[in-house]
Amino acid sequence: MKDATRIHIPLRNAAVMIGRYVRSRLAEQARAVAFIILYLWGFQILVLGDTPTQALRLTAGLAMVVVGLALFLEGILLGLMPLGERVGVQLPRRRGLMVTMAFGLLLGFSSTLAEPAIAALRVIGDSVTAWDAPLLYMVLQRRPDLLVLAIGIGVALAVAVGMFRFSRGLSIKPFIYTAIPALLALSTYCAMDPRLEALLGLAWDAGAITTGAVTVPLVLALGIGVSRAAGRHHEAGSGFGVIMLASAYPVAGVLLLGMLLAPGVSKPVDEASFFSPGNRPAALALMGSEAALRQHAFRHAGAPSRRSCYPDEGAYLKAVTSLATSTNRRHLLASMPLPEWINQYASREERELLHSPLNNAPVALENDAGDPISTIFRSQCIGALRTIVPLTLLLLGVLVLLRDRPRHHDEVILGIGMSLIGMAVLTSGIQIGLVTLGNQVGRPLPRLFRSIDKVEGQILIEPFHPESVYTRHTAEGRCEQFFFLDTPRGGTEAVAFDPAQYDAVNHRYEHVVKRPPLFGPRLTLAGIGLVFLFAFGLGYGATLAEPALAALGRSVETISAGTIRSRGVIHAVAAGVGTGVVVGVIRILYDIPILWLLVPPYLLLLPLTWISEEDFAAIAWDSGGVTTGPVTVPLVLAMGFGIGSAVDVSDGFGLLAMASAYPVLSVLLYGMVIRSRQRRVFRAISQEAAGE
Amino acid sequence: MSDSPLPQARPATRITCCVHQRLASRAAEALEAFGIPDVLVQSARCVRQQAVPRPWPLPGMATSLNDSPTDIFRITCHRDVAITVMNGLIDAIELSASGRGSIYAQNIDDYGTSLTGLSSTALGSLGSKGKSGLLTDFALITAILSGAGNENAFVRETLELRAGAPIVSLGIGTGIRDRLGLLRITIPPEKEIVHLVVPAHDADGILRLLVETTHMDRPGGGFLYRTPVCFGRIDPMLRIGKPQHAASIEQIIAAVDDLKDGTAWRQRFRAADRQIARHEGMRLQHHYREITFICAEGGADLLVQRAMQAGAGAATVSTVRRLRADARTEIDGAREIGTLIVPTRNADDIASALLTTHVQKPEIDLRLQTLDTQAVFSHQR
Repeated sequence: MKDATRIHIPLRNAAVMIGRYVRSRLAEQARAVAFIILYLWGFQILVLGDTPTQALRLTAGLAMVVVGLALFLEGILLGLMPLGERVGVQLPRRRGLMVTMAFGLLLGFSSTLAEPAIAALRVIGDSVTAWDAPLLYMVLQRRPDLLVLAIGIGVALAVAVGMFRFSRGLSIKPFIYTAIPALLALSTYCAMDPRLEALLGLAWDAGAITTGAVTVPLVLALGIGVSRAAGRHHEAGSGFGVIMLASAYPVAGVLLLGMLLAPGVSKPVDEASFFSPGNRPAALALMGSEAALRQHAFRHAGAPSRRSCYPDEGAYLKAVTSLATSTNRRHLLASMPLPEWINQYASREERELLHSPLNNAPVALENDAGDPISTIFRSQCIGALRTIVPLTLLLLGVLVLLRDRPRHHDEVILGIGMSLIGMAVLTSGIQIGLVTLGNQVGRPLPRLFRSIDKVEGQILIEPFHPESVYTRHTAEGRCEQFFFLDTPRGGTEAVAFDPAQYDAVNHRYEHVVKRPPLFGPRLTLAGIGLVFLFAFGLGYGATLAEPALAALGRSVETISAGTIRSRGVIHAVAAGVGTGVVVGVIRILYDIPILWLLVPPYLLLLPLTWISEEDFAAIAWDSGGVTTGPVTVPLVLAMGFGIGSAVDVSDGFGLLAMASAYPVLSVLLYGMVIRSRQRRVFRAISQEAAGE
Repeated sequence: MSDSPLPQARPATRITCCVHQRLASRAAEALEAFGIPDVLVQSARCVRQQAVPRPWPLPGMATSLNDSPTDIFRITCHRDVAITVMNGLIDAIELSASGRGSIYAQNIDDYGTSLTGLSSTALGSLGSKGKSGLLTDFALITAILSGAGNENAFVRETLELRAGAPIVSLGIGTGIRDRLGLLRITIPPEKEIVHLVVPAHDADGILRLLVETTHMDRPGGGFLYRTPVCFGRIDPMLRIGKPQHAASIEQIIAAVDDLKDGTAWRQRFRAADRQIARHEGMRLQHHYREITFICAEGGADLLVQRAMQAGAGAATVSTVRRLRADARTEIDGAREIGTLIVPTRNADDIASALLTTHVQKPEIDLRLQTLDTQAVFSHQR
């Protein structure tokens, strides 16, 4: 019946139409990521003075990011969002509120299971040691199933409560006024217990991370559908507010889980007492097995602790030498590459046991070529399938039960396919391109504020003649030894002679080429300022490219009939994330307890929410959860690692929590500016009318 | 399919009230107090010019566009109570003051659910004031623009022409796009629908000028039509900013409108009319009818499909909310409102095809309204 009216477009014209469409979508995404890419490159070249390496791989990755973003966003808009909205409208109408809430529970829970970013929590927690934060270690490494369960219950409750709120037409504000103070109180309580304190960062980050690129548009569309079906009078914020709940309830879930587990876990101790024979039963209880304890000792502890894991010296030495074979290495080091272990953890004796003189160890991590693109793509494809397929099946299943069909089923199928491919391409592009770039810039970042000489490489001079070493005097009368070395650029420079680097037996000298720190020998204000600038730009730029935020912006613009522009919302959120990342960096640099940085903004947010209008309150609180998506999380984490490793903090948690607290603030303020402008106009109009 | 005879239409009046969002709850309460059962609300924006200082250090003022959030209320009632309801609304939200909103009424043919009249108590409380304050001689220009950037030019032009403050709402275009198969995804379905109430005598002139200046005579430019308005009270405020005189020109015009009891004195487009008529392809089409359907969300697709089988070309569908004063607990407020412009000779066939669909699927909950257009413009190949 449909085919009779179908218009057939000649192939050439169709190609033109498709070409124009593809070009416009790609251009849009290229603009979205242009800022962050140019910013990172600019920073790397102009400030750090490095040159981008692996240019081909980077370019391929960045192109994949653009293509992936375009495909994914278009797929979400064509497939998942119409599907979600359809279910949102039909379900309450046909089956009533209880079934809708039950569906919300199911959707919330399964979206948590599907969320790939949860894995990022384990990555952040990888550096957590069992002695510093035993409870955190327990939750992250031993019982991640319980962690996912706690988060899932939180998200499920949030979606169900959100559906209830929409169909009853309730305001979001009472939910904020109850949830946030309760969370802050819970966090304060936890901060007083040394075991639970370590869990705070994880809990708040978990809240931020749960609402990813797929969950957000889906829940948003569902909410818009349900609240439209309810037909309550005027809430411009209709459909918004669930994401906020889905970020808040999991925090409570994780903290409560911690409280449940805390009695069975020992208090934090120092490394030596953790590995002492007296503590062995407690340590084994925490780690689960002897093998896990050994692996932990190899991956995180010093040589004496490793030694204490073995009954006698011989067994220990045998274990260390066995690192040379790959099966044993996987046992003891898991995924950590041997060179990294030798560089960061091995003692001099251990190094010698492995016959690894310094000159053979590749020092710089950034020279790591990484996995081949095809391997990354394959694993990301599986991730995309895991994320999108269950949720889509859930929605389609509901529609089948309701005997309903989406508006254009071919479009929805195409959309789902596009979002699947888009997500796989996007996440692999991020791994290959953006994260590599982020690492190249983020890891050397401490050079900005620390007097670290950058090791550029080693030159082995063989044979080396000691007679070529001269002595010079400084003005203070100190003697220094040096020799002349031809530089690769053609000149000759005087190089300080370090006797420790001279191997008299083999007649060779190992010269380590270093570059001096950027800003003098001490922690400098300019250096810190640059780090903050970098952090802000990174948060800002990464957020501009977030697909879930683009979906949120479009929804805001459509629902407000264009009175709130999506561009404005996106930039407000991006500025908020930038500020949040700066605050997170401050926390890492100065080791400020996370509670001190969480309580003030949230306490400020409560009165601001009180005076804000309903719709902006809902949009603002939602944008907090939206921001931490597939682009922001890896980039921000790369930077966090860079800075964190330089200042020796136990974990990088808290950055994401900050990055989701401040956008709420910025969007609330943006909303106030817009509303006050509208009010001023309305008042001006009314005054003119009164004077008529 | 469309051979079943068209049922007898009831004459009715559709009242459209566009108010600033800050007044929307007052309007909803007033309508609830009148006992009007079926109120449709749509979010929109009202665009006006605003004088803002140029960025420092440039001197002088620049004109920018200001969007005010606006709600469009649509109600349908018996013709004999329309003026009473309108006056009641004008009093309730003080529409007589400028800048607060517009209200206008169009006589339509209504099919579908029976019209519930106002209760006698509501009528008593409203009183009957005649059509004081309401003016005649208006026409509604509706433009359906594809969201490709030309809507801003259009809105700017209406304000430049001092034709009125345009109300812009969003919709989805279906029709030709749906007949392209999957290739349709390359054409954005989002449409901006601009509603503009202008003096009837000038309507054609303004329409032609708008077509000319916003290049709507090019492919993909959009679609314009004009329908009669029997009476209304139109917001005269087009520009926000410090008044430079004791009264703004809009206020003076409104005052003269009141004195002259109409807008006929404003006619200004004779010369322009003649000039533009010379252009080829600028012919306005007549003998078209506007068919508006209101249905439960999700029903619009089927209805548009049936209408197109019966000869309709394209439709624009928007989502609206239905306020129900009488049933607070029922979860069923999502509605779709669709507009079709069809040749008068096909109109009955299409209307009966739609009504047949409703008979086959009562859950669509269709309400159908038709209205003769006075002029239609679209790009002709």
